[in-house]
Amino acid sequence: MAARVIVTTSGKGGVGKTTSTANLAAALARFGKKVVAVDADVGLRNLDVIMGLENRVVYNFIDVIEKVCKLNQALVKDKRVPGLYLLPAAQTRTKDAVNPEQMIALCEELKPEFDFVLLDCPAGIEGGFKNAAAGADEALVVTTPEIPSVRDADRIIGMLESMGKSPIRLIINRLRPNMVQDGDMLAKDDILDVLSIDLIGVVPEDENVIRSTNNGEPMTMNLDSPAAHAYLNIAERLLGHDVPLMDLESYATRGFLSRIKKFFSGKRK
Amino acid sequence: MPSLNLLKKLHKPDARIKMERTHYGIKFFMPENLTEDELLKLLVRIPATAYKLPDNQGIVLDFLSRPCSRRLILHMINSIVWEKNIKVLAWLSKNQDSMKLFLSAGLNVEEPQKNSIPKQNDEQQISKIEPQKKISALKVVYNSMRSGQRIESEGDVLVWGHLNPGAEIVAGGSVIIAGKLLGIVHAGGFGREDVFVWAGCFETPQVRISNKLCYADPKSTACWRKSVLITLDDGTPVIRENKFLLNLSNEKK
Repeated sequence: MAARVIVTTSGKGGVGKTTSTANLAAALARFGKKVVAVDADVGLRNLDVIMGLENRVVYNFIDVIEKVCKLNQALVKDKRVPGLYLLPAAQTRTKDAVNPEQMIALCEELKPEFDFVLLDCPAGIEGGFKNAAAGADEALVVTTPEIPSVRDADRIIGMLESMGKSPIRLIINRLRPNMVQDGDMLAKDDILDVLSIDLIGVVPEDENVIRSTNNGEPMTMNLDSPAAHAYLNIAERLLGHDVPLMDLESYATRGFLSRIKKFFSGKRK
Repeated sequence: MPSLNLLKKLHKPDARIKMERTHYGIKFFMPENLTEDELLKLLVRIPATAYKLPDNQGIVLDFLSRPCSRRLILHMINSIVWEKNIKVLAWLSKNQDSMKLFLSAGLNVEEPQKNSIPKQNDEQQISKIEPQKKISALKVVYNSMRSGQRIESEGDVLVWGHLNPGAEIVAGGSVIIAGKLLGIVHAGGFGREDVFVWAGCFETPQVRISNKLCYADPKSTACWRKSVLITLDDGTPVIRENKFLLNLSNEKK
């Protein structure tokens, strides 16, 4: 077994890197793959919270690098989905605690044990990003349909290209079809026009994301929601399956109709 | 060997070549009563060292009213000017035919003015001016430039792709963006004004040419999202729409 090492990155913060990593890891595990999600955001770890595993973290990957513990001791197995693991980051250290060579060595150590190694990259283009990207072969660039986010994604893509990462694929996150239709949000094609890389999926804005994040349960584990479907589709595409893009406009219409239904039935929240 | 008669004749005061010190060097007045052969022999006798002048000086040959033949001019150039390596600044004559002959031979017939000859100081100043740096060849980028990427070139730059927002080009010469111009371009970045910016699709809020800064607003700029040429006309930035080719925005429609 030699894992595919994929970094999830964006440049800009708050666009959904960690959420995407957690949901894709859970989705790939649901498809029967052995997956480890590595939190490479040293000092600002969140992946353990989003995956609902924060209470089970004992060691982190800095401990592995510094030989404080063995890799197996630091890995946290998710008992809800077979084959899903977390390798947490250190919260009390800074990004200087690791260098690219150590990150590459860590990924090499993980590769024989897993099918997929998903690296959750910190925001920014400095050391944290370089460390996380160093160990990866492929990249998923997450962007929201906002100009600053697209510009930062463009910057990151340029850096990933110069580092020789391939393929580099795009996730458009938090798209609101209604706003796109009204011309208030960048459309998928506008973003692709600027970034000129392959699109692997579009995740619609979905309030279930906040709910699942706060509950510590990735949506792809069992929730039936537009975002969960989108992440499952992306996971399938990562596996090489030909899955058409979701029809987000129908979701938008469904959302609008359900709101009207709720309004008349008095079920407003 | 010159004959005795000739020697006697050459020693007469009116048969001598008079020389006059001038601001540009030495002016030679040719005797009018000598035949062309006698004059040539007289000039040949003058040692080459006598014609040696500082680099920024030369001599002027004044033939006064004597008629000059083609043969005389030819011999003078061959045997005197080229042979003795003389820098002749002008050929003067009061004879109209001689003047026409000088002109037809492409010779300068105007006596140098005081300011026309570079003085030593001027020459020093000229030598102080740095020779123009060799302008590097056209730089071609065969892909889109992404945010954060920057090119600086002394010559022209061609981007065979888009210039994305956040990407920058500073060129000493002109800049061509074959695709969309969304980033920052500075053409003539080292002061040249005879440069241009050509964009396949103009969508940037700012373009810099030489020391001029041009702002563009999507709402008020007529050429927005169109193929444009931007130049400096008498120091004023001018944007011209490419109306003879389909632009990208029209293709979209």
